[in-house]
Amino acid sequence: MDVKKKYELEAALATEAQAISSGQLKEENPLDLSDDFRLFCEACRRGDLKVCQEMISQGVNLNARDKYDYTPLILASLCGHYEVIRLLLENGALCERDTFQGERCLYNALNDRIRNLLLSYDYAKSTNPLQPLAAHITSLLTRPSPKTADIAITAFDQTFYLHKFLLAARSPYFAKKLAAAPSTTSWKLPDKIPAESLGMALQYLYFQEVSIRRALLGLSDEQELVVLNGIDKVGKQLETERLFEDITEIDDRRRLRQRRADELSRGRDQLDDWFQNNIVKHKRVVDTDKVDNIKWDRENSIFADILLRADDDEELEPEQSGTSTPTTRTINGPLNGLPVGPRQSRSPSRQRKPRKSTVYPAHRAMLLRSEYFLTMFSSEFKEAQETPHLQVITVDCSPAVLETILTFMYTERADFGLDIAIDVLFAADMLFIEKLKQRAAIIISALGNGSTSAVESDNPRGATDADETVDIYEVLQAGWETKVQRLEEFAARYIAYRLEFYIDEPEFAQIVQESANRVKARQETDTVELVDDIRYYLSERFRLRFEDSGLDEMMDEDAAVKAAEKDLGLAVDDLSLEDKKKDEQAPPVEQQIAAGAIRTLDGEIIGDEFLQDAQNYQILLGKIDSLLERLNLDA
Amino acid sequence: MIAGRGRQRIRPPRRGLHGDEVDFENTWATIEAAFREIHTKNASKLSYEELYRHAYRIVLKKKGEDLYHNVHEFERKWLSSEVRAAIQQLLSPNLLVDVQSLGGTTANERRVAGEKFLKGLKQAWGDHQVCMSMLADVLMYMDRVYCADHRRPSIFNAAMVLFRDEILRSPVSDHDARLLLGLLNHVILDQIQMERDGDVIDKHLIKSCVWMLEGLHEDETESEEQRLYNVSFEREYLDTSREFYKSESELLLRDSNAGAYCRHAQRRIYEEDERCKQTLLESTGPKIQKVVEDELIKNRIHELVEMESGVRYMIDNDRLEELNLVYDLNRRVDEKKSELTRAIQKRIVDMGTDVNNDAIAASQAPAPAPAPVPAPAADPADKNKKVAQEKSINQQTVAAIKWVDDVLTLKDKFDRIWRDSFEADGLLQQAVTRSFADFINSPTFPRSSEYISLFIDENMKKGIKGKTEMEIDAVLEKAIILLRYVQDKDLFERYYKKHLCRRLLMNKSISNEVEKQMISKMKIELGNNFTLKLEAMFKDMTISEELTAGFKRHVEGLGEKDPKRIDLNINVLTSMTWSLETIGGTVEDGEGRPRCNFPTAVEKVKRGFEKYYNEKHSGRQLTWLANMGSADIRATFKKVQQKDGSFKERRHELNVPTYGMVILLLFNDLPADQHLTFEEIQAQTNIPAPDLIRNLQSLAVAPKTRILIKEPMSKDVKPTDKFFFNEGFNGKFVKIKVGVISSGNKVESDRERRETEKKNDDSRQFCIEAAVVRIMKQRKELSHQQLILETLSQLAGQFKPEVNMVKKRIESLIEREYLERIDGAKVDSYRYLA
Repeated sequence: MDVKKKYELEAALATEAQAISSGQLKEENPLDLSDDFRLFCEACRRGDLKVCQEMISQGVNLNARDKYDYTPLILASLCGHYEVIRLLLENGALCERDTFQGERCLYNALNDRIRNLLLSYDYAKSTNPLQPLAAHITSLLTRPSPKTADIAITAFDQTFYLHKFLLAARSPYFAKKLAAAPSTTSWKLPDKIPAESLGMALQYLYFQEVSIRRALLGLSDEQELVVLNGIDKVGKQLETERLFEDITEIDDRRRLRQRRADELSRGRDQLDDWFQNNIVKHKRVVDTDKVDNIKWDRENSIFADILLRADDDEELEPEQSGTSTPTTRTINGPLNGLPVGPRQSRSPSRQRKPRKSTVYPAHRAMLLRSEYFLTMFSSEFKEAQETPHLQVITVDCSPAVLETILTFMYTERADFGLDIAIDVLFAADMLFIEKLKQRAAIIISALGNGSTSAVESDNPRGATDADETVDIYEVLQAGWETKVQRLEEFAARYIAYRLEFYIDEPEFAQIVQESANRVKARQETDTVELVDDIRYYLSERFRLRFEDSGLDEMMDEDAAVKAAEKDLGLAVDDLSLEDKKKDEQAPPVEQQIAAGAIRTLDGEIIGDEFLQDAQNYQILLGKIDSLLERLNLDA
Repeated sequence: MIAGRGRQRIRPPRRGLHGDEVDFENTWATIEAAFREIHTKNASKLSYEELYRHAYRIVLKKKGEDLYHNVHEFERKWLSSEVRAAIQQLLSPNLLVDVQSLGGTTANERRVAGEKFLKGLKQAWGDHQVCMSMLADVLMYMDRVYCADHRRPSIFNAAMVLFRDEILRSPVSDHDARLLLGLLNHVILDQIQMERDGDVIDKHLIKSCVWMLEGLHEDETESEEQRLYNVSFEREYLDTSREFYKSESELLLRDSNAGAYCRHAQRRIYEEDERCKQTLLESTGPKIQKVVEDELIKNRIHELVEMESGVRYMIDNDRLEELNLVYDLNRRVDEKKSELTRAIQKRIVDMGTDVNNDAIAASQAPAPAPAPVPAPAADPADKNKKVAQEKSINQQTVAAIKWVDDVLTLKDKFDRIWRDSFEADGLLQQAVTRSFADFINSPTFPRSSEYISLFIDENMKKGIKGKTEMEIDAVLEKAIILLRYVQDKDLFERYYKKHLCRRLLMNKSISNEVEKQMISKMKIELGNNFTLKLEAMFKDMTISEELTAGFKRHVEGLGEKDPKRIDLNINVLTSMTWSLETIGGTVEDGEGRPRCNFPTAVEKVKRGFEKYYNEKHSGRQLTWLANMGSADIRATFKKVQQKDGSFKERRHELNVPTYGMVILLLFNDLPADQHLTFEEIQAQTNIPAPDLIRNLQSLAVAPKTRILIKEPMSKDVKPTDKFFFNEGFNGKFVKIKVGVISSGNKVESDRERRETEKKNDDSRQFCIEAAVVRIMKQRKELSHQQLILETLSQLAGQFKPEVNMVKKRIESLIEREYLERIDGAKVDSYRYLA
């Protein structure tokens, strides 16, 4: 174990403080005394996945610290909430070795499982969450096919093929220039700016990690000077004032990372602004049967080269469908509007009651992040052909989902509600956007827990709120169909903690059967995956209880315990059809009586609860066995 | 979060939107129609989104199985009906006929027909691939979800397999059961054959068909070895190539010479290599290369080397380039290049043996002998015999020099071949060296050591005169090279010592520097031990010079100057280092050596020196070797009328051997008309008879130095001859050198040779014993076999002892109780007795 000595840590801390006060280093963990953050920390302490996810969606700073110098990650790992820690890390919480807070976090980790999880996210191995977006945009600079570039800029002897929307989003200068003349397709820079300088500036705009040292390698001193001057000039002209400063080399790993992170988040914000102000603003809601009449010119103010269409759900009323869609708001670019006119009517395929469809302008360059679109635009089908007007491509999902997907592809943001989570999951699966699938799964598994704490120790007896937020069968099915392991686990855990409510439902038997069939389709084995998982979480549910229970908590939960007892009693009564069950029914009652007797004695309460839990555990396991027996007999 | 709702609820997915069930039949009909469009290249009108959505829905509704099956069936039908028919139409009748017999149609017709077929097939394959990749695009979701879950091959791969089964494995036509695949192979092979015959073919066309075969597999495992290319085509290609090259090589060996064959083989190898790059797959390269090499080289290299125009011819005619070709070919198939090595070695040994035989013949030939009959040499009574022998000795020396020159020429030749043709190959160098060593040490030619030493001697005495340092160095280097080959280094040492000894004493050597250079070269080559004695000889010479000078000073210091004093130049030689016996030729008798009687004046000087020497070194004994010395005498002859009529005393400075001086001084005291007989001279001087005869011969017989007159005048000196002082001696020069007959270094006579060998063997015996004792002392116990081996290896630097001799030495050591046999050991073993 490579843990730093105390004095080493102190020394590191002192240098760090110095660097921060001198302004070299940004404060990694700024003090945050807001209420939101306090709530967030509280949730991390309790292990409340749902609140955590909600807070993260609201944009709380994951790496801030509270007045006791605790970061959320430290709290979660100290309190041992594995799921919460994973959520935090996946959303960019930092646990970096060789820093004070990082080592603290590792040191505080409750167990080795958590410790290993933290280590696996050490900065050296993990990447900035925005890196995939940046990598994609960088790749656009060199991607030969399909062709997505719409402007060619020539400097001296080199021509760069670029994307207007990116230039406009990233550089105010380009934004102005292109707004003035959106149809420009080629542009020549004065000869005095060297191609290398422009290249560097463009790489910077395209989110590439630019290193001035690498770029200047092998150049003579004069050439170097010329290039540096050129960069300076280009930077000023493009109004990317940070360009020059940002490309100079830094040796320090953390400062480099911070700068990169800053740069990425700034770039992302620029893209986000642009996305909101152009794409979302230009979306149009029309009657579905008129959607074919939409005609966008190839040359438009937002440089879109494709239109995506999503149809409203049929059974929903229009008002409800456009949850986030205000009324029809179609603002055309001032220069070249969207000519909506009667066109030769391709007879609408379906003649049903009029529906609304939403059409989003988009850029192929960004859509390529989906393998589906990549294949589509690389193929020889209709969609890949050049047409005078923009093609409309239907995406088989609701407008809200489509907007979520577009948001993700343009900005890497994936904060959406549980209501569309499953839809997003399916759509992402269809479009092969693996990251979004994972995000959807995270949201479902985090929010889907409902108000019930995911913390095992809080809910030993399967207490739930009456209002179920999740149709767990549905989630499980979705997890199977889209092959997201996380959802299968989530569903198993969810069921395990509420097994007494599900164990007797016929739907449960059905889904177990289905799980068994899935196994059969793959390979001939005897285990049923779902049941195995449930058993595992069940054991976790009770075992944890045995290990971690403390007296105070017990007292607090007394009420809940009683409720659970009642529930259990009811459940047990319900299933008293079979002989076996009847046999089993008797002992608990006896136990309860016995427990009651013991309870009169002071200090014996704990023992009683243990016994009860053990009993419950046995009953549930027995039920699973009998269920399996029944099913196997059937099969 | 969405406002307006109290609590977020997860909503079921909107699958209900388009009805719970997908109408599979209708959807499939749409998809099928679209696929048809794709196959007829009308895809640009189709909407990817729509097709994808259909397929997606079907899969989502768990109908993936049906979809997969339907697509599969659709492709099967399409291929078996549309595509197969199109290809069958391409088969021209003569293409089909040709499969059985190649005759009947011209190559050109076949090529055109073949190309048509290949083009069609390539087209079909290309189309199929394009269409299938489009289909795969549309069916992406099925591939990812259904195929991955159910472990089915992706639809693209499945369709490729279909192409193999439905097209390549379909019969050529309805009534011809042969498969298209076979036909394809045949056509490609036919085209390649045309190229080999010099036609131009469409390589790219073939290459694309080859790529098709590469992309398909024989079975479902899709392993590298199972590619159709490897399983079907390559095998056939290698077989036909083997046949082709087999017959071609036969033909070539019969019809052309070795050089042409090599060039051809090399071209073929290159061609095949290029073919693999351009027409076929590179992975075939090594395989076909092996076939070509096997057929053109490996199986033929022996014949090739042995051809009349083979290696021997090339060597004899300096065909360096062709030798290089042979070398290159042989290297391809045989790391050791054994065939070439064998041929080269044989040639070297042959040529070397020729050189040896020449030398032997030259040395034995009875000279431009007056006797054409072979008998005379053997006739002891023949008067000419001695002369003949004399001459033959000279001749042998010439032969020796020639032998060395020949060997060096040979060496140069092979060095050049080795460097230019064999790319300085290490193995071949070893082989060449071994062969040279073989013939130089060949048992039928025992004189190499002597000859080499003679060669050096010759060069030291005459050869290097007027040469630059570089040239001299080259000569020395040559000698060293030869020396390297000699196994019996001790024998060489013996000869060299003898020759060097003469050079030093007679002052024959041109440059002492060069001598020393040679010694140091030998030192490098053969080690310190070898040159120890040689260096000691040089040391003796230096010390002697100092002695002489010291003696001179000593005499001068004695006081009054004696005008008649005789100057003495002396060389004191350590008897162990100098091989005086060979020089003197008479030391056999050891102590009994006859002492020459010096004249009193000389005797006085001699004693003076002995005294002087004993003062300096006590306990050393000086033995005077009069036969080795020489003397300068100033002689005055009677006045004789000159050409101009004046009378003048004639003075000559005579340089004579010491014995000669002793003889001449006898005549000082003699009246002019008196004579001395041979016996008188012998009695007075006590010079050994052979030496006396030689000296008298040079004084009385040789015309230019006839200071004595012999009666009767004849060439031979007989005991009864009388000698007079030649008053009327008239020499052209003031200084006259009286040579001693047969003082040069000559090839030994057979008798001498035997002696030398005997002595050599004696000293070898000591060496062997020493080596055995050294080894046993270290090992204490050793088996016989090992002892012999170790002894041989220890002595290898000096000479190569015969095993028999070693055995005898061991026996002798046992007798003398240095060793004993170990009783009862499994193998014969010895123990060292301390």
